[in-house]
Amino acid sequence: MARLSYALLLGLVGAGIVHLAILFLLPSYSVRDAWTRLSAVAAPYDTVRFDREKLAGKVPIPADPFIEAAACRFDLSRGSLHVHGEGSVPFWSMSLYDHQGLNVFSISDRATPDGTLDFIVLTPAQMQHVRSRFAPDLGQSVFIETDVEEGIVLLRVFVPDETWEGAATVFLDGISCEPRPLD
Amino acid sequence: MLKTLFLTLLVLTIAVGGGAASVWVMLEEAGPVGAVSAGPWTAFPSAGTREADPYSRARFARRGGVPLGPSEGITFTAGRDSNGRGLRRECAYRIAGAMPASRFWTFYAAGPEGALLPPFKRRRAALHSQMVLRQSDNSFSIAVSRHPMPSNWLAVTGEGPMQLVLTLFDTPVASGARVDELSLPRITRTACDG
Repeated sequence: MARLSYALLLGLVGAGIVHLAILFLLPSYSVRDAWTRLSAVAAPYDTVRFDREKLAGKVPIPADPFIEAAACRFDLSRGSLHVHGEGSVPFWSMSLYDHQGLNVFSISDRATPDGTLDFIVLTPAQMQHVRSRFAPDLGQSVFIETDVEEGIVLLRVFVPDETWEGAATVFLDGISCEPRPLD
Repeated sequence: MLKTLFLTLLVLTIAVGGGAASVWVMLEEAGPVGAVSAGPWTAFPSAGTREADPYSRARFARRGGVPLGPSEGITFTAGRDSNGRGLRRECAYRIAGAMPASRFWTFYAAGPEGALLPPFKRRRAALHSQMVLRQSDNSFSIAVSRHPMPSNWLAVTGEGPMQLVLTLFDTPVASGARVDELSLPRITRTACDG
């Protein structure tokens, strides 16, 4: 009897450990996160327009019908990331997602000078490097420091009605995502 | 010998089975924590961020998606009206009341899984702040119905449960400013078919 209750107790402790192990390992082994799903359809630094018809079910398209999106994957170990776009849309916003698909940084067009899309995403070490030297060609770019090494940049655009569809397409298709090696 | 084997198997069964089952129950059945509520509307500002608790994170990992960041906006969903009755597509609702300050908002009707309802002919089951008609005091009301309505009409189709999704973009609400005093429009049931 004593051995049975000991076994039951041991089982419960084990159940607790298994519970915690599953809970904390689940996010790392998920295949539904934005990173994994985007990897399946695009190479790093390819800007993918989240087309509601062509990519339905393959990438996490925002459910909001007035929002169009495009995304690219990046890897900061290959140098800082330069995100640039041109065009005029009523609203755009940008989010950085980490390897698990968690939102780590977001910014909207109101927070940038004259609403232009021009960002440099870099790690704290790369930031130190840039600060320590004069880099004249960076111009107006906004610097975003992040501890995420591999991640996703996702751009959202507000499309109030069909007449804005063209402007949104020009904006989203024109987004460039480029690694910029630090020299 | 046999007894030891039996006890070992018992320990392993309880540990693996109990551990897996308890995680499943917590993720599927227990309600998420960290919700911000205003009347029938609920939002999860920390869902899909690093501030989320481990259960919300695991739940998010299973569902996937690209949550809005605090500088972008916040999404509220309602599955019930202001009197606590479940929202149904065969009923008509009136949405009216104060809306928090934001650059713009979007409003759409979705099925239980969160996907936009199919359109009524060419009319999508969605509206946004720049297309609603307003009174002279800037207030507005939206009719949610299967039948055409004057003024602001959110056309729904089909039957069964639905949810209403309201997203505020570029709003101080999303960055956590005074979420407690938040006031969102009321959802009032006006009629039901059949």
